[in-house]
Amino acid sequence: MNDWQRKSPLDWEKYVNKMVKVAAIEKHEYEGWVLTVDPVSASVVLATFLENEKVSISVVLGHAVQEVEILKEGDDEMKQRLSCIFAPEEGKAYSPEELEKRKNDLKTWLETNHIPVTEQGESGRTLCVVGVLTIDPPYGPEECSSSNEIILSRIQGLIQGYL
Amino acid sequence: MPVPVPVGVLRLPRGPEGSSRGFSPTSPRFQALLGEPAAAQGLRAALRERYLRGLGAARGRPARFCLRAGVCVEAVFGAADVGAVAFQVDALRTPLGVQAAALLRCTDVLAYSFLLD
Repeated sequence: MNDWQRKSPLDWEKYVNKMVKVAAIEKHEYEGWVLTVDPVSASVVLATFLENEKVSISVVLGHAVQEVEILKEGDDEMKQRLSCIFAPEEGKAYSPEELEKRKNDLKTWLETNHIPVTEQGESGRTLCVVGVLTIDPPYGPEECSSSNEIILSRIQGLIQGYL
Repeated sequence: MPVPVPVGVLRLPRGPEGSSRGFSPTSPRFQALLGEPAAAQGLRAALRERYLRGLGAARGRPARFCLRAGVCVEAVFGAADVGAVAFQVDALRTPLGVQAAALLRCTDVLAYSFLLD
């Protein structure tokens, strides 16, 4: 493990939204705006804005990083631009009645398939499946969360087939 | 009341780390889980979330991987694993031909890049 990989998230965060030059092993050099540093591998994710409105993303793996030099600070406009690059897409907006109906339809369908499901959270908006998986509005496969990967993929597959 | 039908459990083989947790218990990440100040944990989570979204954005896109000794290969980005051990790619272009699917070890990869629209 090298010095860069040994840094803490507090250190890595100082490089985010800055224009940097990354010196890597075998004399490689990379320049770009830091989008993030992966805490697991210490990989540096850089963005370079090209002339044709496209963005080039380069990821330098943590084990290959020798030195990171800050060249420039990003202003608010750049920070905004960088945060939008990987932003999740906006979903379709449902009304409260539509959401309630979707929730009840899904709950009924799960119960018909002998899958234990309860409602929890404020005004029962979250469905809790088998006690380990939760489904938030609007109750699609993407809104399922669980710490158990196997149950997560099974239930996601079921909901995908149902919708 | 109907008796719930038990869900079959799939027993997966042990992962490359041998502990089959998907990550090493001695890694800084796991050590941090045991006792890290809340502020650092929040930062760790935010940094990781951005990185994972980046991986999601890379899926299915043509990418260029820079390996050791000046070797560069082109492939379509598939996936990365939890412990940063390997990358899965499709249509890997090698001097011997195109491999439909392949694994690139993270220790062999120095950097990779792809274009976003």
